[in-house]
Amino acid sequence: MKTTHGEEADIRTSSAIQVMSLVFIGIIIIASTTNPIATGTDEGERAPALEGKMYDGGGWTEFDLDSYWDYNWDSSDVTGVWMLLEFMDTDCPYCVQSASEMSANSEDFSSRENAWDGALVNFVASATELSIEGHESSRDEIVAFRDKTPNSGQKCAGSACESRPGDAHSFPYIDDLDQDNMKEWNVGGTPSYYLIQPDGIIAWSSSEHPGEEPRDAILAFCAKENFEGA
Amino acid sequence: MDPNLQLMLYVIPTVVGFLLVLPFSKALTGPLVGTFPSLATERGRLFGGLKLITLSGFAVSVQTLWISSKVSEGGNYCSSTSVFSCDDVIGNSMYNTDPVFGLPWGGIGMMVFALLLYFTLTTSAEPNELWVSNYLKMGTLVTVLGIPVILLLISYEYKIEKICQYCTTAHVANIAALVGFFRLMRMSETPEWNEKPEKKGA
Repeated sequence: MKTTHGEEADIRTSSAIQVMSLVFIGIIIIASTTNPIATGTDEGERAPALEGKMYDGGGWTEFDLDSYWDYNWDSSDVTGVWMLLEFMDTDCPYCVQSASEMSANSEDFSSRENAWDGALVNFVASATELSIEGHESSRDEIVAFRDKTPNSGQKCAGSACESRPGDAHSFPYIDDLDQDNMKEWNVGGTPSYYLIQPDGIIAWSSSEHPGEEPRDAILAFCAKENFEGA
Repeated sequence: MDPNLQLMLYVIPTVVGFLLVLPFSKALTGPLVGTFPSLATERGRLFGGLKLITLSGFAVSVQTLWISSKVSEGGNYCSSTSVFSCDDVIGNSMYNTDPVFGLPWGGIGMMVFALLLYFTLTTSAEPNELWVSNYLKMGTLVTVLGIPVILLLISYEYKIEKICQYCTTAHVANIAALVGFFRLMRMSETPEWNEKPEKKGA
């Protein structure tokens, strides 16, 4: 038996109201019990995954950025360890130049040896091979760049890798020669730097602060006075 | 509550619903007809099954979206070192949103199952209205469009080498809903659509 148009409309409207109520209940439950943070490479977002093989002076081993995070870190906790992540290419002239700053920064902020009393910072470099002529790289070149290996025969930006400025680095270098990590992080050029909180949230990105150096960011975010009750 | 135990809240109604929309459901529901008279007809069983399936699919999608939000906070819900680890799939920023609009898959599932639930509720309430045929066709179309999406998501799981059991439940619910809507769509064009329940002793 056919019903009137008014009743038809009522069935469809009442069903729509029932279903929309369910949707709103679902959204309210999610909104009231979670505090989602977007994953991305902008400041305030959760750092995306970064995995691969790393060289830390002893050989190539597995690296997983996620293993560095302390999700229970409190923003007033000065003992949490931050991270400065550099995306670089061993054949990029500016990366070669800035290697001395990375040496100085890691020496100053990754331990208490130089009287740094702020939050400690881990340093990690992700070494890629930009798709530019003359930027052919390799793991041997990454090792030579990091360690300043004498007589390695490797060329970094046209010069012997051991002649790059700064001391040998003690922090790990990740093999990103296939650009996988660089693409996932939407890195537009090298060098690019990210200062990341101990809980994995990006606090500072060099692409959002042209002209600022990683040292400025570390001093701004990791100095002891920034942590209440420190 | 253990995540796998909680998953049973969605798996059981999905499986029961799936059984109801299959062609041999009459043999399974015989003893239940006294308690649930709507199960006496094929149409009643199909609508009953679809209600269970779409409601479970909606609920498991809400839970998937919730897990996605929880994992983004840095929390764990169903992380495991075994192959079944939904945190690793839902929390993977490369694959946990659709490639076009960047919407979380759980949110898409929630909206799709809400739409399917709407089609089910309206068509079951007024099965002889003129718009029913169109609604059943749209329900079939939506669930058919879900198949390539399911295949894409399975390819992601293959790449990650992990299986998200919550997502799989939603995938099964979509396939079960496809069977239900397709059979209803076909049946709506036959006299069987208005079949009366058999009387006892007849």
